Amino acid sequence: MTIHEVRPPRGAVRQPASAPVKARYRRRMRRADLLVVLSWVSVAIVVALFLAQSGTRGFASVTDAVTSVGVICGLVGTDLILLMMVLAARVPIIDGTFGHDKAMLVHRKLGKPAFYLLLAHGILLLIGYGMASGVNPVVEVGAMWATLPDMPLAFLALALLVVVIVSSFVAVRRRFPYEVWHAIHLLTYLAVLVAIPHQLSVGRLFVDGTLQRTYWLALYVVVAALLVIYRFLLPIVRSLRHSLTVRRVIRVADGVVSIELSGRHLRELNASGGQFLVWRFWTGKTWWHAHPLSLSAVPSDSSLRITVRALGAGSGALAYLPTGTKVSIEGPYGIFTQDARTLPHAVMVAAGIGVTPVRALIEQAELAPGEAVVIIRAASDQPPYLWQELRTLCASKGVVIFLVEGSRSRVLASWQSADAVERGYTLASYAPDIAKSDLYVCGPAHWTDLVIQDARAQGLRRGQIHVERFDW
Amino acid sequence: MRIRAVVGAVIASGAVILGGWEAGAQHSTTLTTQVATPGTGVTGSAAAPQTSSGSTASGTPTASAATAPGATDGTYKGSVVDTEYGTVQVSATISGGKISQVTALKLTDDGGRSVQISNRAAPILRSEVLKAQSANVDSVSGATYTTEGYLSSLQAALDSAHFG
Amino acid sequence: MVWRTHRFDSMGTVVSIMVRMGDGCDEALAEVEAVFRSLDETFSLYRDDSELSRIARHELPLTASSPTVKDAYETALTWRATTRGAFTPNRPDGVVDLNGVVKAMAIESAGRVLGAAGAVDWCVNAGGDVLYDGFSPEKRDWVTGITDPADRGSLLASVALFGQHRAAATSGFSERGDHVWLRGDSEKHFAQVTVFAPNILLADVVSTAVLAAPAGELDDLAGGHSVDVLAVFSDGGLVVTPRLRVQLAA
Repeated sequence: MTIHEVRPPRGAVRQPASAPVKARYRRRMRRADLLVVLSWVSVAIVVALFLAQSGTRGFASVTDAVTSVGVICGLVGTDLILLMMVLAARVPIIDGTFGHDKAMLVHRKLGKPAFYLLLAHGILLLIGYGMASGVNPVVEVGAMWATLPDMPLAFLALALLVVVIVSSFVAVRRRFPYEVWHAIHLLTYLAVLVAIPHQLSVGRLFVDGTLQRTYWLALYVVVAALLVIYRFLLPIVRSLRHSLTVRRVIRVADGVVSIELSGRHLRELNASGGQFLVWRFWTGKTWWHAHPLSLSAVPSDSSLRITVRALGAGSGALAYLPTGTKVSIEGPYGIFTQDARTLPHAVMVAAGIGVTPVRALIEQAELAPGEAVVIIRAASDQPPYLWQELRTLCASKGVVIFLVEGSRSRVLASWQSADAVERGYTLASYAPDIAKSDLYVCGPAHWTDLVIQDARAQGLRRGQIHVERFDW
Repeated sequence: MRIRAVVGAVIASGAVILGGWEAGAQHSTTLTTQVATPGTGVTGSAAAPQTSSGSTASGTPTASAATAPGATDGTYKGSVVDTEYGTVQVSATISGGKISQVTALKLTDDGGRSVQISNRAAPILRSEVLKAQSANVDSVSGATYTTEGYLSSLQAALDSAHFG
Repeated sequence: MVWRTHRFDSMGTVVSIMVRMGDGCDEALAEVEAVFRSLDETFSLYRDDSELSRIARHELPLTASSPTVKDAYETALTWRATTRGAFTPNRPDGVVDLNGVVKAMAIESAGRVLGAAGAVDWCVNAGGDVLYDGFSPEKRDWVTGITDPADRGSLLASVALFGQHRAAATSGFSERGDHVWLRGDSEKHFAQVTVFAPNILLADVVSTAVLAAPAGELDDLAGGHSVDVLAVFSDGGLVVTPRLRVQLAA
């Protein structure tokens, strides 16, 4: 095992986090809380709209109660799906407050509850209407299909959702390439659209002229607008404006390349070191893959750089991109940046290709000597990617850098090498001020979790820990 | 999630739902007061629906031609229930102590318009019609009269009364 | 604001109006008369120079008629479809007779004129078709008397306006020779049909349709609309719709 150290000169000045930084953090947290409250309130509103219209009559008898609960399940389930769509829409305020990866985490978590609620909606209403007419639910399906308007479409919507959910089971998802899974996932848009007619025509809740109908339609309009603008239009406009093309592909290590891109007016992107973009390279073989990749250097007005592990079906071809290949982008996204800092110190821990955003972050950050500590985890026989650049940057900024090499411990699950574990090292060993530090972690998913475990054990709050995950 | 967010969300959501419940309760009371029970003061609670339109009256057993002991003859409107067709109100006619006819009145259809899904005309005695006459008729409707025919019509008599 | 009455001849019958209004009453009533006159001039088949008469004589193709005529014809055709032919502007002799629709249109227009002039309580009766608004001079719901077809001098019933209803129209066999052409066997038909409805066109069309169709079709014709019906058989027997029964018993 080797641990390299570059220490700052003696007497280095340590600056406390400045007041504007703290204020910015507080503003972001207020925004975050507000957005969370708004999301919950959106669910409460749809329930309240129902209650306002049906009143106590909605629960007068068992049949009524079953039907009412069924309708409420449908309302809440749809509201959750709309929330999920907003989370996936790459809305700047959401990305800037929570970070896109956190947003996608919540998106994924909402999937199951939304689906179960919609399933319950269908089942409870079948039972409820069946109870009212005195027929069993199976017969009731036929009756509903035949007599209620737009019911075939509603059944179709539910069927589409089932397809989407099933395709998202991990076991199924693994079987086909990401792009196929993603295409199936987009069927959700169709399911939502196709379900709208029956919501407006069956029952009394969304009858013409009511407040309920106005609110419900407005909700759809807003979500659709957000999707169209931020998920589709903005990236297209940006890509056209900045006309990125591949300038050079440089071999960094075995299977790792840096791709330099040239473009125009890149300053307008406001991309910060540590952020990532979603890239699409327009060659015959690669156009249908969208790659989320971090910038590996602070961009200039006319050039960007990313560093990629060119392995596997999707990324392999990236090593062979011809010069002049057109590139379209979505983003920049992510709050894995110095803007997320609130504390006097910073600790950055990276492994594998995770060094990429960390290197860009170090280059971007304003750091006084001794303010930051960087820990790089590498396998035994290979120096980390961009190692020379890292060392040069850290030296110039007075950042302490540790390289933890060596194979994993077979005894204890840890982010460190076996030797480091034996010696009883923790994060605090490398960074004594860890408790007063913002921690940035980027690397393989499982390893990242182990780093976070160590950090929590050192007493770090969740707000101090910033993680860049690429497994969304 | 942060404490502040959770607390804020719970309070705000609770307030919104409570507001909705209140609005609904108010709306229900207005609806029930509109359901006037005619004449005799026995509050109407509809009995067995004989139609298969999918309406249920709350809390009463089903049986056709059920007796409603102590209920005076007349037509009563029952409670308002929700079905997949919209809101339905059941109306029962009692004559001779027995339910003679039950109709389901649909209050709104999908477009929010007032509709009656069952509006069957039934015989009525002249005497019943005549005894409902009032002395204060404002206008007369009958088959169209010509200008000559008007002169000997009831409307002319009324008009003279108003003009005079 | 005082109550005024007004009466004038139009469309071969007499129009009686009761209205409570302040200033501008004379102008409003004059405008109402003008509405009736203008429609009569266009649609009356009793005037040789009316547009409809010219169409009947084939001097003017229906397709080249004025928008007013076309609209009225379209309305009538829509109702013909809805009532499955019971109400139709096409007479058996091929002449297009829009009288049924036109009188209702005139009454509706009259109501709009009065409303626009600021009247809130009024009653327009054109030959037995009545449209109301607001309350009667006794400050109650307007009461409509229904003539007995067997004895034009007496009333069969009197009904206070209820529910959403604002109009009453009665179809029967009038002295003039009428625009109701019976469909099917004339045996089982009503002698007179009175309809209460939220608007006068609906009341007029349904009353005409129910009269023209065999009695068994009453439920179909009336069932799809928010109307109430009192129908008289030639032998004097009566049928009423449920809500009207309740209203009469009240």
